[in-house]
Amino acid sequence: MVLAPEEAAKAIRAGRSLGSVHVSGRLDLSSFAGKNLPAGLHCYELDARGAALVGLPDDLRIDGRLVLNDCRNLKSLPAGLTAGSISLRDCTALTALPENINTWFLDLTGCNRFEHWPKAGTIHNGSLILRNCINVRELPPWIERLAHLDLAGCVGLREIPNGLAVSSWVDIGGTGISSLPPSMAGASLRWRRVPVSERIAFHPEQLTAQETLAERNAEIRRVMIERMGYLRFSQEAGAKLLDEDRDSGGARQLLQIELLQDEPLVGLSCVCPSTGRQYFLRVPPKMTTCHQAAAWMAGYDDPSLYRPQIET
Amino acid sequence: MKRELIYMDAKSSKFWNIDQVGNSYTVKYGRIGTEGQSLTKSFPSEEAATKDAVLLIKEKLGKGYVDAAASGASAGSAATAPDGLIPLIAFSSINHREEIGQNVGTFIGKRVTDYDPEKPVKTDVVYRFRSDWETNEVIPSLEKYLTTNEALTTTAIVFGAWHGDAWHGDDPEQTAEVVVDALVKGKDRLPQLAALYIGDITSEENEMSWIKQCDLSPLFKAFPKLQLLRARGGDGLQLTVPQHANLRALALETGGMDVGIIRSICTSDFPNLEYLELWLGTEEYGAGYTVADLQPLLSGKLFPKLKYLGLRTCQLADELAGVLVNSPLLQRIETLDLSLGVLTDEGARALLLLPLNTTLKKLNLHYNYISADMIRQLKALPLTVDASKPSNMDEEDESRFVAVGE
Repeated sequence: MVLAPEEAAKAIRAGRSLGSVHVSGRLDLSSFAGKNLPAGLHCYELDARGAALVGLPDDLRIDGRLVLNDCRNLKSLPAGLTAGSISLRDCTALTALPENINTWFLDLTGCNRFEHWPKAGTIHNGSLILRNCINVRELPPWIERLAHLDLAGCVGLREIPNGLAVSSWVDIGGTGISSLPPSMAGASLRWRRVPVSERIAFHPEQLTAQETLAERNAEIRRVMIERMGYLRFSQEAGAKLLDEDRDSGGARQLLQIELLQDEPLVGLSCVCPSTGRQYFLRVPPKMTTCHQAAAWMAGYDDPSLYRPQIET
Repeated sequence: MKRELIYMDAKSSKFWNIDQVGNSYTVKYGRIGTEGQSLTKSFPSEEAATKDAVLLIKEKLGKGYVDAAASGASAGSAATAPDGLIPLIAFSSINHREEIGQNVGTFIGKRVTDYDPEKPVKTDVVYRFRSDWETNEVIPSLEKYLTTNEALTTTAIVFGAWHGDAWHGDDPEQTAEVVVDALVKGKDRLPQLAALYIGDITSEENEMSWIKQCDLSPLFKAFPKLQLLRARGGDGLQLTVPQHANLRALALETGGMDVGIIRSICTSDFPNLEYLELWLGTEEYGAGYTVADLQPLLSGKLFPKLKYLGLRTCQLADELAGVLVNSPLLQRIETLDLSLGVLTDEGARALLLLPLNTTLKKLNLHYNYISADMIRQLKALPLTVDASKPSNMDEEDESRFVAVGE
């Protein structure tokens, strides 16, 4: 039976069973309150963002897009799940992908509990987006060729398996990846969406404050500063001293570095009283005293209200 | 050596033939349907003549000329072949950005002229019907034309602005439905209709994003011999029943394509489609698609006869290029057109990975933001590459725009 998307949505929302149906367009089940969908469903596109779904029926068929963003209760997906694109943004209960998943575009942005890859699957030709999947520790060996691979914020990732290739870019911002496998030679690199050179991405120790300050592109400059580390950058860049005082860790300095076509970089350089390590913590550029900056970091807009008994 | 080439765009339809015998060659060129001019040049040796002829041919191919035989067209006659099939090259209209701002001078290779009921009807032109300042009729004289004998053999019609009273401020919301309704009503008087352009409207008349379109699919049902449907304007555009057994070409020019249209195309039944040209446009003009929405098309499972794929004016051209080079569809089409969009070195770098030794012959990247060095690399590919830029293109500006959009 062929059903128009509106009719199908109405019946499913009313809890009616449909038998085997083909929905010809985009089935809109956003914010659907049910825990599962009826069996026998075949649709071109399914949008169930924000739904209370816990899983999906084993026989669900999707031709184009499957959107399950913000399905916070979604725990599992059926084996063999196939769709042109699958979007699972912020499905925070999801820990694993199903066996033999098959798609061109997979978006797992913000799936912070996701960690288990299936033994086999097909994710190819399009984009694999794993932004801020903080629990991902590896990529599976069966992914071959993608257009885009976004790993930004995957803090647990240290390497990309050889065999994986991208026709366009890979974003490694904030990951522990320190080189690309041979299969990825020539790929464009990005650091949290900013196109960067291999040197910025993989050899930050070679960067100098001088070349960083000379970089005309403000976005690339920010990444260079991040890669150098604020502390080393502020030490090498000849920062201007705005204020200094003492806290329980020792001497504390508020430093300012002027940047081309960007707001000045202002930060508090201080020593941690517990570990003895030195830090540079960036604060808003309007700060004028060390105390004001420390108060801002503690969440006080009015520095006079910030009177800590002890800073640890 | 003998080679017959033709060229067609929104302004012209031309032929260029070369015949080399021994140490000289003769070039014959002119407008299709005319005798044209000829020119003979002699060289000291046969080798020198061959060398010069090969160079000339390469130059013509680079400008967009194609082999007449392969395109199904012949230089001497008008655009339609004896079997009534419109040659593939005649489906394309706007090749370069400059042409967007002008009304079409030709359509399916024939000269376009406004219909004037006072003059005798001609059969070697394509008539255009449109509102103007003088008339209050929405589509002046169409009814009159439909009563003529010539209507019965008409193969192509162009519709310009359909505002009628709107020109006097009465009904700015007038949609293309008046055109579709009039055509459907008159379908028995147009039994040979093979090509339609609905919206030959320049930005001076009405911005592309303001043109009010409608559901065009009733035309599919009304005209079983339709081979080409071209339409301009994305607002209100729909294809609710995208089915046609014989349609060979679909061209939708929008400022920003609604994702619903992409969905209709991806669920369509056009088994004979050879030519698909989509002006995807920008978010500012109503485009809501992502590259993932094009996956069913790029998967290669649709349109088994497709030869030309145009994904033009695309704001996401770079991202799209990265996916296109992995698409099975690229293994079996002849022309990929990513022109008029925001294509930079990032997308160009991906295009260097295009599958070669396939059917792919041509890459149209006209109007782009690609650096000179990268253009050199693209031109080294064994493909005919058009990476030209309009002379007034602003590449210094940090904001990058598609060719239709401000």
